[in-house]
Amino acid sequence: MPDLIIDNKKIQVAKGTRVIDAAQSAGIYIPRFCYFAELGAVGACRVCAVKFIDGPVEGIEMSCMVEAEDGMVVSTDDAEAVDFRRHVIEWMMMNHPHDCPVCDEGGHCLLQDLTVAGGHGIRRFSGKKRTYADQYLGPLISHEENRCIQCYRCSRFYQEYCGYKDLGVMGIAQRIYFGRYKDGVLENPFSGNLIDICPTGVYTDKPSRYTGRKWDFEQSSGVCTTCSLGCSIRVSARYRQVVRLEAGYSQAVNGAFICDRGRYGFSWVNSEKRPRQGRVDKKTMAPQKAAAAAAGRINDLEKQYGPGAIAVAGSGRSSLEALAAWHHLCQIRSWRGFFFDDLAAGPGAAAAVSGLSRENAVSMKAVESADMILAVGADPLREAPMLALAMRQAWRAGAGVFAIDPRDLEWPFAFRQVSAAADEIPGLVSGMATGNGFFENDSRHGRNMAAIRDQLAQSRSPVIVCGTAAGGQATVSAAAGLVQWLRKSKKDARLFGILPMANTFGGILLNGKPGTPEELIKGMESGQIKALVAAQSDLWKTCQDPDRLDRALRRLEFLCAADCVATELVSRADIVIPVFSVFEAGGIYINQEARAQWSQPAHAGGTPVRITGAGGHPPRVIGAAIPGGGLPPAWLAAWQIAGLAPPDSHEAMMDWMTKAYPVTAPVKTMGSEGVRIFPSQ
Amino acid sequence: MLPETYINEVEKRLRRTGRPREMVIDVMLEVQQFYGWFSDEALEQTAGLLQMHPLELEELATFYNYIYRQPVGKYVIHVCDSVICQMTAGYESFVEHMQEKLGIQMGQTTHDGLFSLLPVCCLGYCDLAPALMINQTVYGELTAEKFDQIIEDLRREK
Amino acid sequence: MHPRVLLQNRKPGRIATMDEYRQSGGYQALEKAFVKNDPSPGDIREILLEARLLGRGGAGFPIGKKMATVPEDAPHPRYLVCNADEMEPGTFKDRVLIHADPHQLIEGIVLAARAIEAEIAVIFIRREYENAARILEREIQIARDAGFAGKNILGSGRDCELVVHRSAGRYICGEGTALINALEGKRANPRRPPPYPTTRGLWQLPTEVQNVETLCCVPHVLNNGAQWFQSLALTDSGAGTKVFSVSGKVNNPGCFELPMGVRLSELIEEHAGGMIPGSRFKACMPGGASTRLMPESMYHVRLDYGDMKEKGYRLGTGAVMVFDHKTCLVQVAVNLMTFFARESCGWCTPCREGLPYILDLLNRIEAGQGRAEYIEIIRKMCGHMKYSFCAFAPGAAAPVQGLIENFHEEVTAHIENQRCPFQDGQAGGDNAGSHH
Ligand SMILES: Cc1cc2nc3c(=O)[nH]c(=O)nc-3n(C[C@H](O)[C@H](O)[C@H](O)COP(=O)(O)O)c2cc1C
Ligand code: SF4
Ligand code: FES
Repeated sequence: MPDLIIDNKKIQVAKGTRVIDAAQSAGIYIPRFCYFAELGAVGACRVCAVKFIDGPVEGIEMSCMVEAEDGMVVSTDDAEAVDFRRHVIEWMMMNHPHDCPVCDEGGHCLLQDLTVAGGHGIRRFSGKKRTYADQYLGPLISHEENRCIQCYRCSRFYQEYCGYKDLGVMGIAQRIYFGRYKDGVLENPFSGNLIDICPTGVYTDKPSRYTGRKWDFEQSSGVCTTCSLGCSIRVSARYRQVVRLEAGYSQAVNGAFICDRGRYGFSWVNSEKRPRQGRVDKKTMAPQKAAAAAAGRINDLEKQYGPGAIAVAGSGRSSLEALAAWHHLCQIRSWRGFFFDDLAAGPGAAAAVSGLSRENAVSMKAVESADMILAVGADPLREAPMLALAMRQAWRAGAGVFAIDPRDLEWPFAFRQVSAAADEIPGLVSGMATGNGFFENDSRHGRNMAAIRDQLAQSRSPVIVCGTAAGGQATVSAAAGLVQWLRKSKKDARLFGILPMANTFGGILLNGKPGTPEELIKGMESGQIKALVAAQSDLWKTCQDPDRLDRALRRLEFLCAADCVATELVSRADIVIPVFSVFEAGGIYINQEARAQWSQPAHAGGTPVRITGAGGHPPRVIGAAIPGGGLPPAWLAAWQIAGLAPPDSHEAMMDWMTKAYPVTAPVKTMGSEGVRIFPSQ
Repeated sequence: MLPETYINEVEKRLRRTGRPREMVIDVMLEVQQFYGWFSDEALEQTAGLLQMHPLELEELATFYNYIYRQPVGKYVIHVCDSVICQMTAGYESFVEHMQEKLGIQMGQTTHDGLFSLLPVCCLGYCDLAPALMINQTVYGELTAEKFDQIIEDLRREK
Repeated sequence: MHPRVLLQNRKPGRIATMDEYRQSGGYQALEKAFVKNDPSPGDIREILLEARLLGRGGAGFPIGKKMATVPEDAPHPRYLVCNADEMEPGTFKDRVLIHADPHQLIEGIVLAARAIEAEIAVIFIRREYENAARILEREIQIARDAGFAGKNILGSGRDCELVVHRSAGRYICGEGTALINALEGKRANPRRPPPYPTTRGLWQLPTEVQNVETLCCVPHVLNNGAQWFQSLALTDSGAGTKVFSVSGKVNNPGCFELPMGVRLSELIEEHAGGMIPGSRFKACMPGGASTRLMPESMYHVRLDYGDMKEKGYRLGTGAVMVFDHKTCLVQVAVNLMTFFARESCGWCTPCREGLPYILDLLNRIEAGQGRAEYIEIIRKMCGHMKYSFCAFAPGAAAPVQGLIENFHEEVTAHIENQRCPFQDGQAGGDNAGSHH
């Protein structure tokens, strides 16, 4: 634990901490352009220069390149260092456009911040500026190379960190150019991070271009609900629409990056087709009224057929609050039950949740330090993209990566695959724990399986990644068994399950055995289920046989949908109750490693100005109420549909939930990194 | 198209080293030799041969001096413009003479595609200043007459 | 006459053959080292250290010290890289050494490889030296056939494969760590130690990079001993001879091998034929384009790493570029800065952007549009170049720093008169004289 002094402050940091980070831990911000913690230090931009006054290093050095050591005395405001840094900024600004006041990156630009902070306001250099032609990089990212200050973050992120090769650095000397060989859509499914890491506006978010500037936006920290990883995001909203998502920072989950699917996968929330009004038998009405009408019909059917005729279908895209409400209501009303769509998408989900414990769980960031990774029945790049990136970092640090999977896998790093059929996987996986001689007789997979077994034997901290879709429950159980066996042989083995949805974990945590969609469909087919509430249900999407589902749905007497997405079930429903999305209502989501996180609401909900104002400027209704506002959050709609008085605030809802489901109690005190909740605790 | 024998040879080398980057500069220069310059076609073929992304080759091609990403003449005349050559008496008029003789400016190629004139930094022949290099042969202690002679000889050779 | 060592076999118009090299004592050290293990690798390292053989590629770092940084238990294969990039303007000694006596270099390489137990040696050679590259390839084969290189050298069971790698051309490739990136088929940006190449270099394996001339010295040191090598120098601290490449306004430009510590005046007057008729010595770059412009007051300086360093100059590569009283040194600076700005690898900001900035100001001064405050800006920026990523940018700043310090009046004259005092070409020099 080196002790050092920076600007007269005594600081103690962990060994290996760079001086630039040591300073930051004491609240001293040293400028940087090329340095980005995830990408490591390369000392290219030279703007982090500080003076080392005493100790093992002396003179002006780059604070990103020097590790803190005992006895260092560092000055960040040494006159020579300050003068040098000022020159670095001036050199960068030689060719940078001087258009901050009208630039779309203005206010969102590290270069602008540091230029202003460094006091470089007047241009001394009177030579010509170099100019570049921009490239078409696809529909998501704009390219403005004239703004480039050559920090190399983009090419290093793209090639070294992500392992994709179609964007990089060309040219030499003052004609360095960052881009592609030729115009074209970027191949890297994490390209969107270029927007975030570029310290100026070379790469900008194309869909949100010219929709506002940083200070125009309502902003919040959210949790990405696109897959089960729960990456942190920054949400920007304006005019009652979500405008753009950026990577948030989470030390435990995603670090500083997110995948493009998460970044750009929010169009449903602004969709014109999204349900925004209550609807009862094709008549529109206020959401509360629609909910009351639904409650009435359910009551009637309950009287007629008994509570067993009522069912609720929901999915892991609901918040923990909504899932708790529905679970509870099904129970106290003795309805047939809560059927969980996610079990169609991931039949192994329940096993993955129950197999996880405080001992064997692993955060995504910690996957990066695994010394071996075995993925069984999992394709992270498709099912949980950021995990693939974490696995790549482990691979870069020397970890061997193996896969047992029937599919054609293509990951951005080298790995060895056993192409076993889905139903072979459980046997192969559990075979590893059952001792020697098992694979020698297996002519097809023997050699590769033996290699996996040998690597496992050598590894100290292996991670077993398992999918819940392809292999199903047997695969997950085998994977959990393998982890258990490895742990018994004194290895720090960990289990990383990939769940189908953002809150699959939460859904199963509340009720270990939710009904499966198959059971639900059978119930409808047999006529036992007469009424179905589709509560943010993805039944239609996850169902393998839509014709069958279609026939089953036709047998219902009543279909009610409460949703913020225009799903097929919403369009078929007799009564529709629109609800706020996570961006408007917030919510708690528990990711695949049992981490509960609170996603803040980003803006007050309502019909986007783009829609209310379409074609009709200026005639618009002026009033205090937000047009299309006042929708219930999904958890509130649940109580209303059941005809019961809901908790009267989100806080009250949380009080209720943590009492009704004591397992959820830790969420009340969770910090910004969330809190882990395991089923068995 | 590159000759089949060459392609086979590169593939053999690649199998031997297993490291495309170890041979990438050599192969780029060889392919350039075949095409006369490192055209897009040449670049893409080299990428295919070495199983590298075209961008990875572009990153290198645009870094180095002797990989021509624009067409050049059969004879590329690299005229040293570094300090010793430049300060030899009559350097400027010598450069003008070359341009007149060939009817092109620095950076251009003659219509018959025979000659390109390109500036280059110190060739390491300062003792023989002024010096220039045509393809890979260096000529020193140049005068207008000597230059004309060289050009005539090359024209005859074609 | 001074003794000639490295150029003793130099023949006009042709190389020395292997037999000629052997007649002068060539390959004896190699034979002893490989057949009798005398000196052993450890001994070789020690003898070289004791001989005070300093790197001739510009930095003047002791070869023995560098070899000692290869860890004893470091993995194999290890690499010995011979740096024959020689793109420093004004420098052409390595070319002459290869053309004069290629087997001297081959033996030097194999012996240096032996010292660190490297089994692969790569000669990294600039593309302009295609002749030299072909000579080397041919002569390496001859040496291999004679058992001096390749597999199982002289039946010792030890290998040293020699490979010639042609660069695709960039000055920065000569920088030791950038060279390694170039060999790995990457953009030749330098690497920042640690780790040093001697622990993790080419393909992450131990790699020692040495200049051609340094390696050429190795067989002679081993043949004649460290004491002998030291005694060759005219200064106490120096050792060996130095091959100087002299160019510019002298009657007889070329390469001259002279004892370390020879006076600049002797080099110019007795070996390079003196100044050309009608010229007076005004300044020189003592060691290639990235050394400080040296004024006339240094005319009798002893050309040696130690002596020059004391006086604030660097011997660099020993490439002496001589300028006369008719040469506009601002224009020289413009030319050099154009070179450096063009050749910057583009990795770090001071070099990539700062050099073009300085160049712009120098150009304005030369064009008669200079302003007094430019001098201070240039001085500041040149000073800041030492905080760049590698030694390229400080080297680029060196001649300009020399200009501003030693030829301040010449620069001011440009600015005050709003024209170049040498404007009328080479003949207009008398104008400039008035400023001295
Ligand atoms: C920009 C730059 C260019 C260089 N070019 C060369 C070169 O062409 N040849 C050379 O031997 N050393 C060159 N050097 C020095 C090398 O970095 C390295 O110090 C040298 O090759 C080591 O060999 P030596 O110790 O035998 O001199 C260069 C250094 C810099 C900073
Ligand atoms: S100083 Fe910087 S830009 Fe210049 S050559 Fe070195 S690393 Fe490249
Ligand atoms: S942040 Fe340290 S050099 Fe760029």
